[in-house]
Amino acid sequence: MRLLLVLLRKDLRLLWRDRAGLVFLTIAPIVVITVAGFSLATLYGASPSGQTAYDFPFVDEDHSQLSEAIRRRLEYDSVVHFHAVVDRAGAQRLVQDKRAGAALVVPRGTEAALRAGHQTALVLYTDPVKYLERLNVEIGLLRLQSALVSEQRARLREQFDAERTQLQTQLRALQAAADAAHARLEKAWAEAQMTRAALISTMRSRLERAQQETVSRISRQAAAVSAATTADIRRQMEDVIRPSRAYFASLTATRAAFESWLGDLQRLAGSHAADIPPPPRFPEVPEAVSELLGGAQPALHFPDLQLQVDFPAIALPDLAPLPELPELPSMTIALPPPPPPAAAFTIDEVNLSGGAVTVNTFDQNVPGFSVTFLLLGMLLGVSLGLLDERDWGTFDRIRAMPVTAAQVLIGKLLSRFVVGVVQMVALFVVGWLAFGISLGPQPWGLLLPTVGIVFAGTALGLIVAALATSREAVLPVGSMVIVTMAAVGGCWWPIDLEPQWMRTVALAFPTTWAMDAFNDLMIRRRPAMVALLPTAILLAYGVVYLTTGVLLFRRQLRHRA
Amino acid sequence: MVIAAVVPAQPRTGRGDILIRADRLRVRFGERWALDDLSFTVSAGEVVGILGPNGAGKTTTLFVLATLLRPTAGTATVAGHRVDTEAAAVRRLLGVVPQALAVYPTLTAAENARFFARLLGFRGRAAQAAAAQALAGVGLSERGDEIVSTFSGGMQRRLNLACGILHTPRVLLLDEPTVGVDPQSRQHILAAVRTQAAAGAAVLYSTHYLEEAERLCDRVVLIDHGRVVAAGPPAMLIREHGRGLRLQVITRAPLPCDWLDGIAGAHIIAGAQEGATDAVVAQVALDAPTVAPRVLERATTVGSDVLEFHLHRPDLQDVFMTLTGGELRD
Repeated sequence: MRLLLVLLRKDLRLLWRDRAGLVFLTIAPIVVITVAGFSLATLYGASPSGQTAYDFPFVDEDHSQLSEAIRRRLEYDSVVHFHAVVDRAGAQRLVQDKRAGAALVVPRGTEAALRAGHQTALVLYTDPVKYLERLNVEIGLLRLQSALVSEQRARLREQFDAERTQLQTQLRALQAAADAAHARLEKAWAEAQMTRAALISTMRSRLERAQQETVSRISRQAAAVSAATTADIRRQMEDVIRPSRAYFASLTATRAAFESWLGDLQRLAGSHAADIPPPPRFPEVPEAVSELLGGAQPALHFPDLQLQVDFPAIALPDLAPLPELPELPSMTIALPPPPPPAAAFTIDEVNLSGGAVTVNTFDQNVPGFSVTFLLLGMLLGVSLGLLDERDWGTFDRIRAMPVTAAQVLIGKLLSRFVVGVVQMVALFVVGWLAFGISLGPQPWGLLLPTVGIVFAGTALGLIVAALATSREAVLPVGSMVIVTMAAVGGCWWPIDLEPQWMRTVALAFPTTWAMDAFNDLMIRRRPAMVALLPTAILLAYGVVYLTTGVLLFRRQLRHRA
Repeated sequence: MVIAAVVPAQPRTGRGDILIRADRLRVRFGERWALDDLSFTVSAGEVVGILGPNGAGKTTTLFVLATLLRPTAGTATVAGHRVDTEAAAVRRLLGVVPQALAVYPTLTAAENARFFARLLGFRGRAAQAAAAQALAGVGLSERGDEIVSTFSGGMQRRLNLACGILHTPRVLLLDEPTVGVDPQSRQHILAAVRTQAAAGAAVLYSTHYLEEAERLCDRVVLIDHGRVVAAGPPAMLIREHGRGLRLQVITRAPLPCDWLDGIAGAHIIAGAQEGATDAVVAQVALDAPTVAPRVLERATTVGSDVLEFHLHRPDLQDVFMTLTGGELRD
């Protein structure tokens, strides 16, 4: 370990003295990242900070609320740098002179046409050569159009809702008034009905009372006549009955005398009384006669006088019936539901990782070019470093000391590994400070793929060192490998620009896995855990490279000897 | 400065103990044998030069001894440890000064020295002390804080050596450590190597500078095609394989074939006269330096102006050329 530290210190010191190497490791990647970042900024539209916005001429011929709204939005759009131009000719000149890739004109009468419901169009002058710029501007304008339409729809909806609310209020007031009137009408109708019924009732009762009094008076007069007649009859009958009553008393006495006599006779006849024929029987005095003769008043029964009073029909005044209240319809007036919006939709873009939808170009370029320069640094550092040691003779000198070749190799690789990690961290810090790149939710997570790619790159440098027999051979061999790895692996541009077959091929390169992890952590803002698999794959690549490199290096040593 | 306190203790060996032993070393690269039955030894306190043309196997030999290359056959030991099976033990004893400037050009001299000292096991202040001592040993104390890439070639070579002797190694392997340096730096480097040997180190010194090997080395091992073609002290090799004293005479016009007739102790080296449009070079073997004036006088007498002459004493280069031939190597 002590020897490793000695070798490590020596290599770090050599690197420190190698100003060109230091520049290559630090300044060069920053310069390239800056240049490439701004140059390739349009791949993602533009940087959110607006540093890479397109110059975008704008001609307002309409001078309307619509054109003003477009202007405001363009002024705050990070994709374009708003540039007001007086007339179309000026805008056309800017595009023709290649100073702008696209220019927008809002023609006179645009808003009026829209208000009148007529189709109308804005004019976009474009330079077909500036394909990306045109594409990005068109996408931006489509977003702007969508936003304006959404705004307009929202405003109309708001206005409609306000008017509807007002109408509902008025309707409710009207309904209340109608309800009140209806209630009053019903009350009046009910009162009229009652008054009419009372009137009819009064008239009928009075008529009936008059009729009853008339009948009563007649009855009383008839009763008086009957009583007088009865009394008179009774008196006349008394006069008739009185002699009868005297005769009846005599007859009764005679009968009693007869019966007594008969009794005496029968007693006298003794045994022969039975032979005496029964005397004739006195007829029985009818009870009524008896009672009448006994002094009872005879009941006189007069035939009922059926007084039939026929009143002439008295016609009541003809009261016309009250008209029926008309059925009032329900006064609940409900407004129909608002009509569905016109057939249109907006697209709500959602970054599933929760981050911003727009991407800072440097989030791609900083790790991409850092990895590229890291690999180049590893290539130069490890392979040229080992070749230097060989050419200087120091490698053989060290091998002739109590140090093994493996220790020399490990010391060299370890120093480059440390330098590589420091280089990557420094570039990320610079990217963060200068370009505002995202370090993801867990910045420490960036160390995982960093360690992985530095390890793989270091081991790759050993392979190149073992394959290239001279300094002159290192750059062609190494740069071919690294340029391919970096380009195909998505270090220079998003890997999605590549065809599918190339993306499949890219899986064979460590750069692909490193960039996948960096994109996950920085752009998709996923937790550090997602970098574990790519890191493991990178470490596996490193192990394979290291094994291959050591075997090749040993073979080279044998050949040299 | 108390050296003992900062240098890891290395068991010292008595002078004369063999610390490097190569025994029938063979190394094959494809179809070619880079080393073929190579055997030699280096003892403690001894500086042995390993010489040979390009591709002869010098660097391969040093690589094997430095444990950077396994031999195909044969054995090599450093202080008794086999380099192929006991590499770790060997490396602790070794100081290696590679042919390349094996230092970091963007670090300072002191940073380089401290780094290698730490790799050798020195810690903290001990590493600083070892670095300072080594830099002082090669005359770079005052320049320790300067970036190496600003150094001259000689200074860089001295630093290269300093980084190899930080721990006063028991065995020091140097692969052409003075390539492209000025005489002053060379002097310094050679002095430092001698100091190491004097301290008991076994030094194996590879170089193309034969004069340097002649001056520095106690013995030389001359190899070619991976084999030892001669070995021994320089004087002995010169004696045995040197081409003798020679006089090179450059004249305006060709000399006649018999121009040396009558001068005892002087013989024309066959085919050694070669000419150009305005000068002709003749090679003459002399038995003694005293013959040279007469040869020059004769050259003038026979009618040709002597433009230039060189008296060449026999040296290792003669031995080298004699034993390895004059053909170009890859």
